[in-house]
Amino acid sequence: MNADQELVRRVQAGDKKAFDLLIMKYQQRIIHVITGFVHDPVEAMDVAQEAFIKAYRALPGFRGDSAFYTWLYRIAINTSKNYLTAASRRPPVTDVDAMDATIYYDAPELKEFETPENSLMSDELQQAIHDAIQDLPEDTATAIKLREFDGLSYEEIAQAMDCPIGTVRSRIFRAREAIDKQVRAVMGGEEQQ
Amino acid sequence: MTAKQHELLSAFVDGELNSQELDELLALMSTNDNARADYQRYQLSSDVLRGYTNRSQPVDLTARISAALADEPVHQLNGHETKKASVLKLPDWFWKQTAGLAAAASIGALAVVGVLNQPQTAVTPELAQADAVQTQTAVAASPNRWTVGEQEVEDRLNNYLVDHNEYAGASGLFSYARVVSYGEE
Repeated sequence: MNADQELVRRVQAGDKKAFDLLIMKYQQRIIHVITGFVHDPVEAMDVAQEAFIKAYRALPGFRGDSAFYTWLYRIAINTSKNYLTAASRRPPVTDVDAMDATIYYDAPELKEFETPENSLMSDELQQAIHDAIQDLPEDTATAIKLREFDGLSYEEIAQAMDCPIGTVRSRIFRAREAIDKQVRAVMGGEEQQ
Repeated sequence: MTAKQHELLSAFVDGELNSQELDELLALMSTNDNARADYQRYQLSSDVLRGYTNRSQPVDLTARISAALADEPVHQLNGHETKKASVLKLPDWFWKQTAGLAAAASIGALAVVGVLNQPQTAVTPELAQADAVQTQTAVAASPNRWTVGEQEVEDRLNNYLVDHNEYAGASGLFSYARVVSYGEE
């Protein structure tokens, strides 16, 4: 049983905190998927929230026939489509008054949505992550690449690199620490702007 | 935070935690804001690398979703219920075939009952022994075959019967539905 399955089992057994971890793990991906349908950032987050709430309510019926994310993804897509259908009968959300506009643009979580500056920052972050990987020792770089680019499990990486699983876990962690150092520098630079 | 705790966060990004480690992670996340922030950056970096997002800052909807779910009842599904549900699960094709057979059975039964209730078209032992052509001719010759006055409606009904017979014959079931004739007089 992988971590997702275990978390799902715990939520089904009444542990709401376990659902928080599933949200934390998948929220970026779900927002990204929804943004493909709902372009407005505020609406996209509202739809993402609705999708997670629907998922929580439907979780007792989830039997694990597919991966949790695949199941959640379908819910997100359906929620987005339903939202668009309903939205077509409503006035555009962008038609807001001055107060709403102030709230909208002051929301810190919306700062990085599609603007030229945000696009630049996103590129800078990607570059920083790739640079960090380039600077890693070879075995560490190989481990993180096999994990992130090839999607191998720790066990598969251990077989490929002929080393114990614990070593793989440690190497990937060290890679993430090095990447995170660069990421924090980029984010720190953004906060200073 | 310790290196071991950071390693825990990293392994969770990859979904590589066992049950005991998930307990540790849940405890850590619920008490340590730094752990949440660090995990969010780890996860964002992973998502960016895999092309799952193009954001430059992590978004955290956890608090607002948790608040929205605060009044929701906790689930009480136990292992027995899960097992029972999985036993009852049948593939979609099974239900589609069952529904198709049920529909064909209903139509076939109605057709047979309709023929048997027509007093002048009863199937006699002689007719049952005759070949298919003779049977069709005998029924078609009956003046009570249809009670529809309009030719257009009668043609349409005949077409329905043709289609039905083809489907019934193709399935290998209810071939006796061919007792109903659609030949023109």
